[in-house]
Amino acid sequence: MNAEMIFLTFFGGAAVWFGIVVFRTHSMVRSALALLFSQTAIGAMFLVMQAEFLGVLQIMMMATEMSVMAIFMVMFMMDPGGLGAMDMTHQKRLSLWAGGVGLVAALGLTLGVDWGPAALSVPSASAQIEMLGIELLGRSMFIFESAGLTILTAMVAATMVAIAPQDKGGAK
Amino acid sequence: MNPELLIALTIGAALFGVGLYGALSQTNLVMIIMGVELMLAAALVNLVAFWRYLHPNEISGQMFVLIVMAVMAVEMAVGFGIAIARFRSRGSVEMEEARELKG
Repeated sequence: MNAEMIFLTFFGGAAVWFGIVVFRTHSMVRSALALLFSQTAIGAMFLVMQAEFLGVLQIMMMATEMSVMAIFMVMFMMDPGGLGAMDMTHQKRLSLWAGGVGLVAALGLTLGVDWGPAALSVPSASAQIEMLGIELLGRSMFIFESAGLTILTAMVAATMVAIAPQDKGGAK
Repeated sequence: MNPELLIALTIGAALFGVGLYGALSQTNLVMIIMGVELMLAAALVNLVAFWRYLHPNEISGQMFVLIVMAVMAVEMAVGFGIAIARFRSRGSVEMEEARELKG
């Protein structure tokens, strides 16, 4: 077992463990922090797989996203501290079955397919960023711009949904 | 056989299973969003692993990762927008109480 496999297993195990903790703890802030640690471990996996740009992007993006999520959870949950130990789950048996079947199906595909030999050499970090920049502003420009436009549309739509409706009757 | 790819894909499968369980079992909208985030993270792990261990010179593999990250951001923005609207009108984001949304 080489160092890459050891680190992949370690960070991957941490990501899965914190993912499980998200749904096991009663405290919502702990849930958000567990998801943050899980996503950060995934970013560390990207770094191990020599995708430096994506790894750093994942960690930075998720740190912001999960901080916002923690605020929302404290705002909207009935028992954000988890002191009441409320059970906020339903259809547990069905969910366990669905999660198990999804896991087994994905594992079956993973183990059943001949993936071929591993690529040995990877472009350097700077070469990757250069190639990605050329890809984004060349062949994939339309897709990239579409993604940007989609995010903008989602931001506007989310703001419009979130703002309080005006009381037109009261204005008269 | 490619052991590093197998480790990464196994972790992706486990994350997907945990995320699916969370998305189906939780009653709170924000917790459901967390489950979906975990499933999308599983897709990210798989995409990066495929790029790294099968086609490292095809940079479009990383392009897919950026698109999935954009999807994660959009999902969160729209989900929280709906959560705010729901909380304002009904005072709760418990999905057990949102039966009127059922068609």
